[in-house]
Amino acid sequence: MAKNPPKNAVSPLERTSRLLDLVPYINTHQGISLVDLAEIFEVSTNQMISDLTTLWMCGLPGYTPLELMDLDFESGYVTIRNAQTLARPRSITHEEGVALVLGLDVLRSGISTERTDLIEAISSLSQRIARLVNLPLALSASSDINHEVTTSVKEAIAHRSGLQISYHSLYKDEVSARVVLPLEMLESQGYLYLHAYCFTALDFRHFRIDRIQSASSAEVKKPSTAPPENPEKIGFSVKVVRPTRDVAERFQESNLEPGTVFKSSSFSQHWIARSVLASGGAIELLSPAEIRSELAKRAKMVLNRYEG
Amino acid sequence: MSRKSERLINLTIALLATKRFITKSEIFKTIEGYEGSSESKDRMFERDKDDLRSLGIEIEVGSFDPLFDDEAGYRIKQERYQLDLGDITALEISLLSLAAQAWQGASLDDAAQRALVKLNSLGIAVDEANLPDSIPFFSDEGLDLPKITRAIAEHQILEFTYQNYDLSVENRRVVPIGLSTRSGYWYLAGVDQSIEEVRTFRFDRVIGTFTVKRGPKKFETPENFDSQSLFERVKNIDAVIDVRRGKGTSLRAIASSTKSIGEWDQIQIPILDMKTLSALILWHGDDVYVHSPMELREIIISSLKDILETHG
Repeated sequence: MAKNPPKNAVSPLERTSRLLDLVPYINTHQGISLVDLAEIFEVSTNQMISDLTTLWMCGLPGYTPLELMDLDFESGYVTIRNAQTLARPRSITHEEGVALVLGLDVLRSGISTERTDLIEAISSLSQRIARLVNLPLALSASSDINHEVTTSVKEAIAHRSGLQISYHSLYKDEVSARVVLPLEMLESQGYLYLHAYCFTALDFRHFRIDRIQSASSAEVKKPSTAPPENPEKIGFSVKVVRPTRDVAERFQESNLEPGTVFKSSSFSQHWIARSVLASGGAIELLSPAEIRSELAKRAKMVLNRYEG
Repeated sequence: MSRKSERLINLTIALLATKRFITKSEIFKTIEGYEGSSESKDRMFERDKDDLRSLGIEIEVGSFDPLFDDEAGYRIKQERYQLDLGDITALEISLLSLAAQAWQGASLDDAAQRALVKLNSLGIAVDEANLPDSIPFFSDEGLDLPKITRAIAEHQILEFTYQNYDLSVENRRVVPIGLSTRSGYWYLAGVDQSIEEVRTFRFDRVIGTFTVKRGPKKFETPENFDSQSLFERVKNIDAVIDVRRGKGTSLRAIASSTKSIGEWDQIQIPILDMKTLSALILWHGDDVYVHSPMELREIIISSLKDILETHG
């Protein structure tokens, strides 16, 4: 995710929009420092000075000192007078309304049902904003990502410090405690991942952030400079019996037809076996033979329970 | 460049400050920045009006005196220009700023930040004491969400190519009625125009982009539809499933109740989609056993037989 480029070189229109929003903001934050103001509006201090200089020339027709807005920012702190016409903030746009309504909903998903005060406040706000921007109340959002976990992870990355995490491994279906040295956060296919050195696996690993159940800081030694040994990837091959979207998405394969054979590999034999089981007969695992016979045994055992 | 911004600001101020409609000639006479031949002034003014409208500012056009066929006049109504959310409390402002923070790094981050600046301009202190302590957040891949929400608001048709469960690819024409996100995926609900029934689509299964077309003349959102119902049970039943103790974390995460029965826990799961649930159950192998409903049991049993047949 690239950081937004500095917003200095923008169209006159974007600038107009910012100028219109600057007036009410300064009006309720009289004496705010130039530096803070520039940061809030995400521009350089020089751009902010140029913005304020432009505003200083604006006002009601006549354009005498009586009609012009009175801005003072020479001291490095900004005040505004005589700006009644623009003093109240502009209404929010459709796009901004969408962001707020969805944001409120995702917020509600993280609040315990006991906090009826917050839930009521959120639903009243959603309705008011939706009405304001002509937005149907047909949006809903929830997120599984825990903000405390992300905060700890970000801090650990910034300070190059270690983390103790409890992690749900989907392949093994186990929750394990691990000590890791976080390196970076990555986004892939709608999920956030933590790329870290794992002291349990003694290797680099990717952890899905939404499967980290808790995270707290931990003492770690820097991993030894000798590159850790990579565990072998297990190659497997699969024959398609019945092409389904599930199979295509799980194995990230396209152009599936009945009879198609594809090869892939994974670090985890659990993942291979479980993926074939979950595909429910839509595919056949051709190799490796051990996993194939193991999963047939497993399917037989489960079936016996149902038929027994 | 700053001349243009200056002129647009002055035009906004003048149109806001006036109670009556003011005419174009009054505008050219009094507002600074309109220069050149009358044609070039006209062109400038037309463009300025369009520009302000694109910023979401409504310019009213009216007649100066309804009895005479006068020159058209213009004004901006304060009450349409200003943010009006009624009485707003410190707690509400704080909740809105958390809602905006949820977009950090996602597609509507900029829009959320702009909204937040406007809200903070109301000059209301925040109430941090009563806030929830964790903020979830969005993940998306640069989706054009306002395009979808506008289509929902205006009952437009969205055309797109969609990948079906059996991997066939189909063109869909849908009047969208809801937009939702769960677990990192975005979903669109709408009335599929070829079958006139509500269907749900996952964004990452859309191939290419959405095209917006004019909607049907008469459209009514199906009764009792709300976006929550996208994620409520299809059938009015729960699946009753045994899960081995210490196992099945992903099944437990979607369970509505759990009771311990020795080595196993019995959990109930609201059924959203049989295919998804049965795949998740099969994934867990011999750590899970389905009691009911019968339909789910039968899917599991026949899948297991298929697996045995191909691998036995």
